[in-house]
Amino acid sequence: MLTAWKLQISLLGIFIAALMMEVSIIPSLWAPLRVDFLIGMIIGQIVFIPFSQGFPFVILASLLIEAFSGARVGLLPLLYIAVFLATDFLKEVIYLENVFIQGFLGVFFYVVIAGATAMITGATFLEDMIIPLIAGMAMTGALSPVMAALVGRLQASYGIREP
Amino acid sequence: MGRNNNRIILLICTAALLLVLFSTGQYGATSRGVGLVREGYRVFDKLMSAPFAFVADVWNTYIGLVNTSWENRELRRQNDRLKVRCMALEEVKSENRRLRGMLQFKEAHPELSLIPAALLSQDITLIFKTAIIDKGSTGGFHVEMPVISPDGVVGKVVSVSPRTSQVLLITDPNSAIPAVVASTRVKGIVKGRGGNLLSLEYVRRTENIKAGDSVVTSGLLGAFPEGLTIGSVQEVRRDVNRIFADIVVKPCVEMDKLEGVFGVAHRVEASD
Repeated sequence: MLTAWKLQISLLGIFIAALMMEVSIIPSLWAPLRVDFLIGMIIGQIVFIPFSQGFPFVILASLLIEAFSGARVGLLPLLYIAVFLATDFLKEVIYLENVFIQGFLGVFFYVVIAGATAMITGATFLEDMIIPLIAGMAMTGALSPVMAALVGRLQASYGIREP
Repeated sequence: MGRNNNRIILLICTAALLLVLFSTGQYGATSRGVGLVREGYRVFDKLMSAPFAFVADVWNTYIGLVNTSWENRELRRQNDRLKVRCMALEEVKSENRRLRGMLQFKEAHPELSLIPAALLSQDITLIFKTAIIDKGSTGGFHVEMPVISPDGVVGKVVSVSPRTSQVLLITDPNSAIPAVVASTRVKGIVKGRGGNLLSLEYVRRTENIKAGDSVVTSGLLGAFPEGLTIGSVQEVRRDVNRIFADIVVKPCVEMDKLEGVFGVAHRVEASD
């Protein structure tokens, strides 16, 4: 039980560092660029951590994200929970441990989240958003396996096994 | 013994005399004798000092390099430190320039009660355009408060916490500000398009509006003070089948480079 708490706190610590990268450091380098670190962490949760421990983390992380967005309350948690459930479903269908699949899923979910947000709010993708979107997709795709591996490393260090 | 001594004394005296004889014109051209002595000494000196010079050379060029390498490392480290310091100074210079600009703007608008704030973070999503600033309710910020920068209108506060506020930028699709075209006084609503541009909506296509016209806040609804610069008309498209013109406005504020902003607390009444 204590190990599960330690794992959750460590995950949250990593997520807060990633959040800082997302909202302050990356936009200060190139303002329109948005990179999603959470998707990779969600993939890592599904691959390495039991559902019962991964789900609370995703809820907590998506609620934290909400503080840094103008999206209406509940929209981002809804989208990230959908990503979590979809990845959990895919676990039974495809081999999620493969880094290329993780990268592909990172890109796919990045596009899905951006598209869903745009569709729900009625916004349209304009010309000046296309290049940041592609760059964000590429970076999220590259970072997703890294974040998933990080979750795996944590899981290994705490010795948690899937029941 | 005494005879030998005499001979030696005689020999020395003879040698001294010969030396004197050879030493004519001592301060002019060097005499042969003196020259020979000096040359001899030079050769002697060379021979004696050669081993020492060799050792010194080896020391300076090989063993001494250890010291040079250390010195080189130290100088590189010092150079790196200076480079970082230079960058920090550049940043301070840029911040100083920005703060001066903000101060000048505040002094130029005594009619506005302005509260300065700095940008903390930007929206985590690609679609929404909001920003978090480092002042909240304890700093005098409140919901619906207009936020401006020395260049023009930035947006309005949509939520506050004690020490932070969330600002809805004018480029957000949910943003709408009553505006007026400065030259023609034609009124409309400026809305965000999601990207870096704005739309001026509800303006009839028959109105005389052209690219380059300045768009300012109209002051209607009381949210924003009148006359604050929003942007300039970039393009006007008129479709004969539509009542309103499609007007694209370029904001004066570069939202990507936003750092310092002002919250407009309330209008200060001019006293006579």
